[in-house]
Amino acid sequence: MRKRLALPVVLGVVVVFAAVLAAGSQGKTDVASSSHATAASGSVTLSGWSVGKTEEELLNQVVSAFERKFPKIDVKYDSIPNYDQAMLAKFSARKPPDVFYLNSEKAPTWISQGLIAPLNSYVSKSKFPTKPFYPRLLGAFKAKGNTYGFPKDWSPLAMEVNLDLLAKVGAKPPKTWAQLRSVAQKLKSVMTGTARPICLATEWQRMLAFVYQNKGSVLTKGRPTFTSPAVRQAVEYYVGLQRDGLGNSPAKLGAGWCGEAIGKEKAAIAFEGNWAYPYLPETFPGLKWRFYPMPKGKVPGTLAFTVAYSTSPASKNKAAAWELIKYLTGPAGMKLWTSKGLALPARSDVKVNFPAPSRKPLLSEAGYAHVWIWPNGWDKVWTVGNNELGAVFEGKQSIPDMLSKIQSEAQSAR
Amino acid sequence: MATRARTDEKTLGSEKLREALVGYGFILLPLASFFVFSIYPLIYALYISYFDWGALGKIDNVGFGNYREIFDDFLFRKALKNTLLYTAVVVPCQMALGLSMAVIVNQALRARTFFRAAFYFPSLASSAAITAIALYLLSSDGLLNSIIGSVRGETYAHSWFGESSTALQSIMGLNIWTTSGTMMLFYLASLQSISTDVYEAAAIDGAGSWRTFWKITFPLLKPGHFFVAVISVIGSLQIFDQAFFVSGGGGGPNYSTMTIVLYLYNTAINEVRFGYASAVGIVLFVIIFTLTLGQRLLFGRAESA
Repeated sequence: MRKRLALPVVLGVVVVFAAVLAAGSQGKTDVASSSHATAASGSVTLSGWSVGKTEEELLNQVVSAFERKFPKIDVKYDSIPNYDQAMLAKFSARKPPDVFYLNSEKAPTWISQGLIAPLNSYVSKSKFPTKPFYPRLLGAFKAKGNTYGFPKDWSPLAMEVNLDLLAKVGAKPPKTWAQLRSVAQKLKSVMTGTARPICLATEWQRMLAFVYQNKGSVLTKGRPTFTSPAVRQAVEYYVGLQRDGLGNSPAKLGAGWCGEAIGKEKAAIAFEGNWAYPYLPETFPGLKWRFYPMPKGKVPGTLAFTVAYSTSPASKNKAAAWELIKYLTGPAGMKLWTSKGLALPARSDVKVNFPAPSRKPLLSEAGYAHVWIWPNGWDKVWTVGNNELGAVFEGKQSIPDMLSKIQSEAQSAR
Repeated sequence: MATRARTDEKTLGSEKLREALVGYGFILLPLASFFVFSIYPLIYALYISYFDWGALGKIDNVGFGNYREIFDDFLFRKALKNTLLYTAVVVPCQMALGLSMAVIVNQALRARTFFRAAFYFPSLASSAAITAIALYLLSSDGLLNSIIGSVRGETYAHSWFGESSTALQSIMGLNIWTTSGTMMLFYLASLQSISTDVYEAAAIDGAGSWRTFWKITFPLLKPGHFFVAVISVIGSLQIFDQAFFVSGGGGGPNYSTMTIVLYLYNTAINEVRFGYASAVGIVLFVIIFTLTLGQRLLFGRAESA
């Protein structure tokens, strides 16, 4: 008796819940399609990931400045932990924030899935000048003639140098590949224990800068070119530094990343970006260090990482969202945002008096930096690439085999 | 109530129905949440695994395409191999350690409560915090290497998480330690359900403590073994956090910490391929289901006895 009862009751519960769910989703679509704001007023939500309290306070200051200028618009700023994961859930629920960070690395996938709204019509309507943005940074957020976001800030890879250690061996910061090698040779004598002259991340997100310095490219006219001689030579140079004991991966040096390796004096030279500030002065106050441009191979070359402000087609207050984007990426908003040196301005017309150390070496790279941005499906190519590079560093894989493996992964990327 | 029902033949059926409804009424909320948060997502995941599915929903119907791609992908095979290896090592160690700790704290020891709490403590701490501390202790200039170095009399600088030969093994060790407390708790409950009569009978027959353990305690713990083995296998196959923290999500070095759930996470969050990620989830579900069924067959007879 009891067993026969179970099924109908269970089915009843399922039906009730299915009905509730269906009703819920219907309600949602109604709300989404009914509201259409035209005037720039009302409230907008603003979200990004959190990089610490100082940065959040600074963004709050910028937002207050905006609200003073546009008293009719009320901005609600929230930083979101587990950003990508949480944002995808919000997109799926058709309730993303009105204005949010768009990482250049994610841009192609998010744009191709229709998560990001094109801004062309707003740009032309409000005559927003786009010329002052560094073209390479703005280009990262353009697809098929549309602009999907305006860069809020950026950073290239540069060279961080421990000045005390270099002075100890009487060396100057290297400017070329040959000098990098010779300076590292000299430094070898003062690096003890697990420490090495150079911190070499086992990541293409660092090593690729050397490929560009060698006039190489892993993607030429839309086709992967990992097996080209220029790429191989650059990888051989980079890995060669490790094989000759002139550098090592942060894990082997005894650090979580190369910035920490510099701070703990496990290395004297590293290749990181503006994010080394304020980490280094705050965590290692006594350290004497500075930024220098990346060493030059055949040509100067480096990688850049940038983040834009974007909005979504699901935004219910696009007019106000656009006002906020315009202000945050405009000269006044960006100047305030970059004033503390936590980020670099993405516009050439914003001049900032940065706190030490000098950011000139970083900004000087803007003309030739390549933004880290790849076709859809390349995320996995780099997962494979970094694992293979780790194997090469361990001596378990040869450089040509690594490159052909990544090449075939990139050819089948989807 | 029951007597009255028995006197009236006609209301017997409806009375039983009422009783059943009251029963279901009591479990309605948990049952509802079980359907909404477990059964419904499971069926939905099965459904979307036949599609190319993005953040906004359906993109394309691919049929079994996602499943074919999974088994063609060498990265998934690496993840599968690592996960199975991890499970094969961690489950027996966890069970052995959990049982020995349970036996220890089941004795009439002084400060027994302290030991129970101390053994269980690692299970309470967040896995992120424990992994962060382990990253320090096991780094190339960390505490463990200093100890090894001072014993050997020469500097030792092995990066435990940074070398592909020891990265997964270090995670295994870490997790055997952290979760053994939970296994101890389950075993302790099982141990205390064994009647003291059998021990008394064994003592009268002159069995020593070693023999009592292997001939009486261990076989009588069969339901406990089954439960702990199932929980431990499921938990091990779902290994994610430590692999994620140690490799920064990349599964490195040299694929050594790529696990099935980490692979699933990367395809869902980084590549935004929810259909494909669901297919990976379904494959993992089938693996877990099969293994659990196998364990039931292995332990089943004793459990029903």
